[in-house]
Amino acid sequence: MNKVRIFAYAIALGSLVVSGFAQENATKTIAAATEEGTLTLVANGEDFVRQGFVSKDGWQISFDHLYVNIADAVAYSTEASFEPQKGDTKESIEYQNKANFNISEIPDLAAGEADAEPIVVAQANVPTGFYNALAWQLSPADPGSPIAGNTIALQGQATKDGETINFDLGFNQPAEYVCGEFVGEDRQGVVAADTPGKVEATFHFDHIFGDADTPPEDALNQDALGFQPLADLASNGTVQLNEADMALQLSEADYQTLTEAIAGLGHVGEGHCVVTDSQ
Amino acid sequence: MIRFYFFLSLLALIAVPEKTLAHGANIEYRQTAAITIEAKYDDGTPMANAQVVVYAPSDRATPWLKGTTDESGNFTFVPDTKPENIGDWDVKVRQSGHGDITSIPLSEGENVADTQLASGGRGYTSAQKAIMAAAGIWGFIGTALYFSRSKSSKLD
Repeated sequence: MNKVRIFAYAIALGSLVVSGFAQENATKTIAAATEEGTLTLVANGEDFVRQGFVSKDGWQISFDHLYVNIADAVAYSTEASFEPQKGDTKESIEYQNKANFNISEIPDLAAGEADAEPIVVAQANVPTGFYNALAWQLSPADPGSPIAGNTIALQGQATKDGETINFDLGFNQPAEYVCGEFVGEDRQGVVAADTPGKVEATFHFDHIFGDADTPPEDALNQDALGFQPLADLASNGTVQLNEADMALQLSEADYQTLTEAIAGLGHVGEGHCVVTDSQ
Repeated sequence: MIRFYFFLSLLALIAVPEKTLAHGANIEYRQTAAITIEAKYDDGTPMANAQVVVYAPSDRATPWLKGTTDESGNFTFVPDTKPENIGDWDVKVRQSGHGDITSIPLSEGENVADTQLASGGRGYTSAQKAIMAAAGIWGFIGTALYFSRSKSSKLD
């Protein structure tokens, strides 16, 4: 009887020790899974917007305001790199974590000084990880907004040979950009508990106007409209046009070039995105 | 006698070290599994002398290797095949405001995959846990029986 009791005690004690180990492991797993950090979505018009630039046809462009109405921005962390240009889609993405951003204001990419940081659009608390895919939409702004009905609005001055033209251009074509990882000097998107990460929606406005610092035969300038076709529509030193105006007043070829340039604005740093009409 | 001289000559030939040339060259080699990437622009032009950054799976935030492509846009590197680096190697190529990043899955043979699972910090498998638990319990039973028998012997 004594041996049976000892045997039972031994089993009970052994079970306690084993379950203790199991409990410890389970606790570690839960702790790792619930660890969170901050992921910031920024929008960046780069130095072209902050500092101005010379278009491919010699107009010095500077911006007062440059609004982009970003909506439905989502960042994902995936095991392998997400490459939409090689066929990856939002529908096929196999993500570990997903971050939805709640965007309350329309960012002005021209805000701040010439050396200002990219504009903070929204922040989210997310599980730690490497957020290497980003998708967002450009949608028409709500009524009452400074750019009501438009997805993008460009306001500023263009100067050439002593002539200055004030421009106010509004675009209303919605689009969705599906992008992989930010491509730039540093790697972005890594979120740790004690280190916030960021993802960036980058807009290349040299795609619209071209860049005098780039050879004329470069694809960038070949595909860009330049500013002269818009300057030709100015009256009393001002050109104020919405999408319908531009469709009507620009030549068919120029409007097509402009439309394609607008669609190709969205990047992640130097990384390209796949753009679709989100309508 | 002739044999003796022949043996002596042979010994001398073996014993005298080979003369070393001051400007001699030496090539050694080892076989490795290298990865070569080819970077091109959309129009097919090679990204010559472009910046390359390689990230290992074990640390996706810190560059594992930096370099530049050759004139043909090619870049070759030998990945570290330690178990923690089995997975997707990310390679970034940038030049003049253009860039791309891609993942290259690295998998070794079955042995490496097994090693990774065992040392990857993922915990023990269910079978391993069961064996460990059984061994632990058996140890307690054995210890208990040992002391039980000693006590009985003393009583006797």
